[in-house]
Amino acid sequence: MSTLNISALRALDPKIVALGSSKGIIQSILDFDFLAGRTAPSVVAIVATGRKSERYFFGENEVTIPVYSAVGRLPTSLSEQVNLFLNLSSGRRVLASSKQAIEALPALVGGVVFAEGLPEKHALELAETANAAGVWLAGGASVGIVVPGVVKLGPIGGVQAPQLVNSKLFTSGSVAVVSSSGGMVSEIIRLVATTGHALSFSLALGGERFPMSSPQEVFAAAEADPATTSIVYFGELGGRDEYELAEMISSGAVTKPVVAYIAGTVAELFETPPQFGHAKAMAASVDESARAKSDALRAAGAKSATTFAEFAQYVAELPGAVEAADLAPVIKAMSARKAGLIASSISHDMGDGEVQVLDQSLLDLADNNSFAKIVISMFLGKQVHSAELEAFVDYVLKLLVDHGPYVSGAVNTIVTARAGRDLVSSLAAGLLTIGPRFGGAVNQAALTWLEGVSTGVSPTALVEAYAADKRYILGIGHKKYRIDSPDPRVAKLLTFVDGLEQAKFTKFALGVEAETTRKKGNLILNVDGAMAAILLDLLAEKEGYSIEQLEALAATEFFNSLFILSRSVGFMAHYFDQVRLDEGLFRLSPAHVTHIRPASED
Amino acid sequence: MPRKKISEFRAKTILAKELGTAYSGVSIDLKANWQSTVDSLAAGGSYVVKVDQGVKGRFKKGLVKLGRTKAEVSGDIAELAAKGFEFMLVEPQMDHAADSERYLAFERQRAGTIISWSAAGGVNVEDAADGIRQAVFTTEVAGRAAEALGVSTDTLQLLAKTFNDNYWSFLEVNPLVVMDGKVGLLDAAVEVDTEAAFFVDGRWTPEDFRDYTASAPLPQAAAVEELASQSQASFRLAVLNPQGNIFLLLSGGGASVALADEVFNQGRGKELGNYGEYSGNPNAEETQIYTRQIISLMLESKAPRKVLVIAGGVANFTDVRATFKGVLAALDEAKAAMREQGIKVFVRRGGPFEVEGLAMMRSFLEREGLLGEVAGPEMMLAAIIPLAIKELEVTA
Repeated sequence: MSTLNISALRALDPKIVALGSSKGIIQSILDFDFLAGRTAPSVVAIVATGRKSERYFFGENEVTIPVYSAVGRLPTSLSEQVNLFLNLSSGRRVLASSKQAIEALPALVGGVVFAEGLPEKHALELAETANAAGVWLAGGASVGIVVPGVVKLGPIGGVQAPQLVNSKLFTSGSVAVVSSSGGMVSEIIRLVATTGHALSFSLALGGERFPMSSPQEVFAAAEADPATTSIVYFGELGGRDEYELAEMISSGAVTKPVVAYIAGTVAELFETPPQFGHAKAMAASVDESARAKSDALRAAGAKSATTFAEFAQYVAELPGAVEAADLAPVIKAMSARKAGLIASSISHDMGDGEVQVLDQSLLDLADNNSFAKIVISMFLGKQVHSAELEAFVDYVLKLLVDHGPYVSGAVNTIVTARAGRDLVSSLAAGLLTIGPRFGGAVNQAALTWLEGVSTGVSPTALVEAYAADKRYILGIGHKKYRIDSPDPRVAKLLTFVDGLEQAKFTKFALGVEAETTRKKGNLILNVDGAMAAILLDLLAEKEGYSIEQLEALAATEFFNSLFILSRSVGFMAHYFDQVRLDEGLFRLSPAHVTHIRPASED
Repeated sequence: MPRKKISEFRAKTILAKELGTAYSGVSIDLKANWQSTVDSLAAGGSYVVKVDQGVKGRFKKGLVKLGRTKAEVSGDIAELAAKGFEFMLVEPQMDHAADSERYLAFERQRAGTIISWSAAGGVNVEDAADGIRQAVFTTEVAGRAAEALGVSTDTLQLLAKTFNDNYWSFLEVNPLVVMDGKVGLLDAAVEVDTEAAFFVDGRWTPEDFRDYTASAPLPQAAAVEELASQSQASFRLAVLNPQGNIFLLLSGGGASVALADEVFNQGRGKELGNYGEYSGNPNAEETQIYTRQIISLMLESKAPRKVLVIAGGVANFTDVRATFKGVLAALDEAKAAMREQGIKVFVRRGGPFEVEGLAMMRSFLEREGLLGEVAGPEMMLAAIIPLAIKELEVTA
């Protein structure tokens, strides 16, 4: 038996995950939310591939909704509160994705399957799974369910704000609209609205052969819903559901007045009629014909119309007329929406001249934070709290400031300065040398340590794998320092993990070093490798970063950022120094260049 | 469409494989080199030749030929081909006593897999419908049915598994021949769930679908079928009366039926040129192709006065402006011919961008002298039909 409970749904604070994305449909849900006076969108997450978030309008402002690659990847804070899903994936993906959602979302009460083409067997299997989990599902091929002012789960009622208002979806009424046809749901909702009524709720069953919410189940839910005083039903030829509905009316299981139209009398014209309308709209026998089913409902006491005009008349005559709220001003405000050219979560102007960085006033930020803390918070896009991380960043920024005039970046800055170029050009010339061979090894080292820790491979196995592939392990090895004459900077850096509980990245890196130094004395953990490992450990243990989040950081080259910032100081220092010394244009003499003959043609 | 018949040849091939028996029937496709298939039959055998095109009641319609020699098979095929059929099945004849014929069917329903069985099967099973038992398939039911049919429970379980694993919706074996505990499937009819083609690993494919139509579909209907197969959106077109005077360009599975009903309710059902619908937010180009087919049908009709009804409910998400752009492009191609034939166009539609879409439509129809009526959701859905019919009466 379905667990569809309309009064419980009406009391729910809807938190929806969209399985698959459809811009128009999701936007229409946010428009509904805004017009209903919600302060935040009901759609809290989207499961899709590609982007990490999608932008939508909430009222006239833009909001982002986070995107995850699988429902199981929602952070616990989200997965624990999601209570509805809207499955927008293709028919063949519906069974798997819906089952995953039922499993991963403990607070789930219901869901809508929008896709057409869900195989019959899958529909039956999914309905069974949902039932066992105490979750109701509507569809496949359902345009959704709507409870005025509370929740709109699907394109039901329209995808344009004025449509929603014209359909009186923000006024609670007493008419329940149930239809197998998605298009007719909107048509009938509009009919209900234009005849002075409003909905208690409406659900589109979907035109497939085995709708997961059957008309009988929805009739029972309407009967049990105190706000519903009448039921309007649109059915089609084919199937025998209407006989069960008639039985529910005759037996008193449904006592509320029912207005019905069963489409498909036109099929009487043909000996073998063409397929009308939806998948199930094919009468296999006389008693599945539109007329027979319509007659049965009428005999049971429903106002079952023989023509659509009569049906419209019956709807108009229903009791319970209500006035709709005037939402014209809200709609007008919404029409002013303009998509931003850029989205930013780092900083913004409050409009009164005050600039906020990470949602704090810039002056407060400067007053209350060290430079290191501001740097790492801004790079991560959120305020950090760990004193250990702050201290480490502060030390690294100092430590990396320069490492002699011999390194590529400094040489380039010096050459450019001596060519008479300006500060920014000379700095840029130095910065442009930073990459995999100079200064950019930190990020690559972070990727290596992440690979080791996330796969659980042993340091020995990792070293062997790299050796077999003839790949260098970045973060290991130094030109000058050896195991017997260690790099003093590394020793100092390693003191920052002393207070950590696990330090698993640093332990792994030291494990790798133990292995590589057995092969060669200078294959020690270098500054790049140590910084990467320590930063990973601090972010994981002190700021709660998951492996996936750390991998995402590495994908943006985050672990090189402190070097780039700090070394800019050194490059600028070399520029000023060269200008002061004024040595003139730098030029190599032939003695500095070894001539090599080009390879000959033969 | 979700449920479709597949060829008996494919059904029996799958069944034989799952039951671990041999199947020696051959499929005849008139478009292929069928003569060599016939030549490969063993000489001296006795054969059954039958139409394999999803036709009901073949035996009574004379579409099954029994006890044929190899030499007679080619002539039978030619004879059936002359009746307009293109797929046949040739099988070795299985001789059996009349009282060994049973009836067995499985159908997928909401309650589960429904098994129907009768110890008295054969071509007249419908006359003895009282003898058919029906129940949701369970182990207990399998035991009961197996006993009544004289087959092993394992055989029924295996059939049910085959039914399920292959995403079948309907399987009818009639007769099922049971002799000395051995079963033979004389005739088998299978409907598959077409949406499951992705999940059956090629055991059946759309090539196996057998839709019987007495005559080849008109080119317009074929074009729409082609369009539907290539689009995310849904398109359907059935030609009802090529000489009709009411032609329908409808949107929405439910609304289109309600609108066609209205024509029937007004006593004009026989004058309907076509039924069809588009839905699922097609783009302008697809809508243009679809509209073009309906206009072409309409222009071919010899009826003296004709109307085109462009109608649908209040769409949830189909963009009225975009779809009407396609409709208008097709109308624009045919406006001169339509004017010449005095065709008027009647429109009722709602949904996203309805104001813009309807305004575009009105101004085009007015300018081109094709305007019957243009209305939005303020008009009751079916009310556009009597207006269009009135146009036919005024000038009739």
